[in-house]
Amino acid sequence: MALPATRLKRVIGAVTAATMVAFVAACGSDDTASDGTVTLEFAQWWGAELPAGEFDKIINDFTAQNPDIKIKLLSAPYASTKQQLLTGAASKTLPDVVGLDGAWVNDFAKQGAITDITKLMADAGYDDSELASQIQLDGKTYMIPVVNFVYPLFVNKDLLTEAGVDKVPTTRTEFLDAAKKISASGGDAKGWVLPLDTAVPNGVQNDVMSWLWASGGSMLTDDGKPNLTSAEVKSTVEFVQSLNDAGVIAPGSLTMKEQDKVEKFSNGQVGMMIDSLAHINLIKENKPDLNFEVAALPAEDGFTGERGIPYASWGIGISDSTEHKAEAFKFVSYLMSQETNAKLSTIANGFPGNKTAEPDFSNSDPLFKAAFDIYQQGYPANEFVGLPKSEDLMRSFAEQLQLVLTGKTSVDEALAKAQENWSSVIE
Amino acid sequence: MTTVKMRRTFAKVGVVSGLVVGGLFAGLPVLWLLSTSFKNNGEVFQNPPQLITEGFSFDAYRAILGDGAQLRFFLNSYIVAIAVTILTLLVAILAGYAFSRFTFPFKKTINAVIVSVQAVPPITLVIPYFGLIVALGLYDTYLGLILTHMVFTLPYAIIMITAYLNTLPRELDESVKVDGGSGWTALWRILVPTAVPGLIAVGVYTFMISWNEYLFALTLTRTDEMRTVPIGIQLLMGQHSYEWNQMMAMSVLGSIPVLLLFLFFQRRFIGGLTAGAVKA
Amino acid sequence: MTLTAPETSTRAAPAVPGRSRSTLTRRLVPYGYLSPTVLLIVVLMVVPIVMVIGYSFRDNVIVQENSVFAGFANYTKVLTDPSFLSALKNTAIFISVSTAAHLVLGLAFAMMLNSPLLGGVTKAIFRIVYILPWLFTIAVIAVIWRLLLDPAGVVNHVLQTLGLIEQGVNWFSDPSMALWAVSFVNIWAGYPFFMISLLAALQGIPGDLYEAAAVDGTNWFQRFVHVTLPQLRPVIISMAVLDLIWTSHQFALIWMTTGGGPLNSTEMLSTFTYKQAFSEYEFATASAAAVIVLLLTMVLAFFYVRSQRER
Repeated sequence: MALPATRLKRVIGAVTAATMVAFVAACGSDDTASDGTVTLEFAQWWGAELPAGEFDKIINDFTAQNPDIKIKLLSAPYASTKQQLLTGAASKTLPDVVGLDGAWVNDFAKQGAITDITKLMADAGYDDSELASQIQLDGKTYMIPVVNFVYPLFVNKDLLTEAGVDKVPTTRTEFLDAAKKISASGGDAKGWVLPLDTAVPNGVQNDVMSWLWASGGSMLTDDGKPNLTSAEVKSTVEFVQSLNDAGVIAPGSLTMKEQDKVEKFSNGQVGMMIDSLAHINLIKENKPDLNFEVAALPAEDGFTGERGIPYASWGIGISDSTEHKAEAFKFVSYLMSQETNAKLSTIANGFPGNKTAEPDFSNSDPLFKAAFDIYQQGYPANEFVGLPKSEDLMRSFAEQLQLVLTGKTSVDEALAKAQENWSSVIE
Repeated sequence: MTTVKMRRTFAKVGVVSGLVVGGLFAGLPVLWLLSTSFKNNGEVFQNPPQLITEGFSFDAYRAILGDGAQLRFFLNSYIVAIAVTILTLLVAILAGYAFSRFTFPFKKTINAVIVSVQAVPPITLVIPYFGLIVALGLYDTYLGLILTHMVFTLPYAIIMITAYLNTLPRELDESVKVDGGSGWTALWRILVPTAVPGLIAVGVYTFMISWNEYLFALTLTRTDEMRTVPIGIQLLMGQHSYEWNQMMAMSVLGSIPVLLLFLFFQRRFIGGLTAGAVKA
Repeated sequence: MTLTAPETSTRAAPAVPGRSRSTLTRRLVPYGYLSPTVLLIVVLMVVPIVMVIGYSFRDNVIVQENSVFAGFANYTKVLTDPSFLSALKNTAIFISVSTAAHLVLGLAFAMMLNSPLLGGVTKAIFRIVYILPWLFTIAVIAVIWRLLLDPAGVVNHVLQTLGLIEQGVNWFSDPSMALWAVSFVNIWAGYPFFMISLLAALQGIPGDLYEAAAVDGTNWFQRFVHVTLPQLRPVIISMAVLDLIWTSHQFALIWMTTGGGPLNSTEMLSTFTYKQAFSEYEFATASAAAVIVLLLTMVLAFFYVRSQRER
């Protein structure tokens, strides 16, 4: 009945061991080692989206050139990265260098979490004329886009041919027509796919507003105020509504996420989607025999102006609280250098943030060359970049759009309501 | 006599068919999960759906088991869940002993606080918690995760252990005291060994809670060196596409320890719950 | 070890001769045993609760350096927000449907698994099958059901093949369907713990109670109503309250299946609070919402504490 002393000891021993493990692990290390090397933490979601090991190679090249700097990669998926940066900013534990989406910049900058890079560029004597773009707030740069990804129209050639459409649509009318034909051609396939989940509402940016930008439209006034009740926005939403009324949108839209969109396209469940060019490899890997191509997003009938091409960026910023700003900027300028930037864009299937860097198309898919041409004919457009609480803006728009698509409200009412919501956020 | 026999047979058929229907409800989704883990990613939405596809392979398992980072998630989950289980039992035994064997001022109040702590919504805590854990220097550490999980496992453990100890007669510990031993000796020499079935029930339960915890494991870690299996599974969801087969393979692998634990201890687990639940 | 222990003895411990501990020390002993628990709960539970209450009375906490006292403004804002009120309604439906179904399924399965008509091996196999949903972490449960209930998924395929539905149902994305779909998933995921606890309680019912009832010539249903239910009552009550509490905490499942949509039809108090904090950066209103949620659950906790005392 009595517990033998040895067993008791063993229990206590196990507990002590477990606690010790925990305590040893708890003792963090200081970021400046005794030999003077500096460790920079770099939080981003990029590593997860590149072929395994490729990002490490680029980082290793940097540390080989700069033996006194070490880079510690903190990789997480996009959504988790955002939440961690947010909580990190609140508790002043933001990693030294952070991957940013243009849509986050306003909030982080206002919070004082990310630092003014303009000053660091001046301190380092950096020539910024090579940078394709800089994301600024009140004239100060807070983010530099490292790699840009355009969002063209993806079309499934086989479904299109089956449906008797021989030409990739270039106008909204042609698109609606093609979508109807695909949906009517038997089987389960639908013409288009629209992810409108409100937990991750980026479908508003990628799949809805992109139609507006492609016809040269804008959701903001010239001085940056919301302008959702304009004729341009209205015709865009009415176009989406007409697609919905025609029954050509894949079912499940209202809780669909970006992943589901890509999946439905890869599986031949939808004929057309608007998606990041970066996904070409992914689709080919999952469905090697899928016959698809990319094209410019259709514009309003008769539109002849320059088309806005929706894009997203891997941006980079530097923590305001880091003690190693100079080293951090050294790393940023390495990523932006002609050679590295070209290499990174090539493996990421994106377009370089350094104007002088030429992506190497020799080994990549011919579709990239096609997309690069589309890109160069238009201008990159993403009006959510730099807006405050942009995810919230997208969500309130998505909610109104959901009401329209379920027939619970009219387009005018929905846009008036969205305009009201946006106006209270964008001052 | 035959009617009684027939009625027994009818009853038996009834129970078995009820069990089969319920078993399909419980088991079919799991079967589909298992089947998906052997498919290749392009076959997941194949129409018509098939349980075993042409692309049947162990590739997804190979990918998970061959990837050091994924294995690290498993190691982390083991370290955290085992430490949480041991420490929870230890702390809950002490508290349960106090509640079961002593009367003292504020006993009811302290007990009510501990019981109602179970009701505190995690979402309430998430907002201030991060800053607090950072301030304590526990961010991205095992200890931070372990202590956090313990806050959620302790109350139920204390209730169960108190109930279990209450079923053990006081004569047990008093015999030790008569021999000159202290309450401490009585607890560890007599009560704890006697209470093993109850402790196993609590331990299995605690391990499961910790192994599956998601919200805080995500919030309180930021490097792959500290992340646990549920987060690892979520990482496979990626931003752009689902790695269905790998997610499912990792889920299967992640559930095996819990399944084994349950299989191994199921008699004692249910027995321990019985004693705690049906307190005299 | 048999557990035929009678009532807990309440006899005071006899004074042990030869031990001269001061009464003060002796009085402190129980607190000593409780100290690790109390320390942990104070630091990691009471402190953050106090912090969140503090946030809820301020303006622009966390995102701005100098926030100011705002009185009850945040509370007014939350309580007059129609999406908060609909979240409250959805949560009430979600937790009551889930708990009722957990109870019914848990009890039905537990009684079948406890049936004296079946052999030990059969029971053991079914016990394992029935416990399966409990083994999966909530992220996996969300993913597997997204896969199964996809408009092009296997559930629709099977129902269509059987002729039960004509067109594929949008389980998660039809506003009139989504709340029931997430409740169903939660029922699937949550009944095993109920079942196991009730199974344990059933096994603790003394057999002679049934024998006595059988002698009286009662049928199965009468025995169920007059013996089983009264014996299980304390367990059922405390499990039900505990389940209401736990279900109201459910965040990950909702977030990963519907995200609160479509049209807020599955918005819960937890997802509402999370969105306020991490998407609108309104940490002050989020804190106020969190405090309101805390107060509501404390009402449940009150009943739970009482049900525990009764046992």
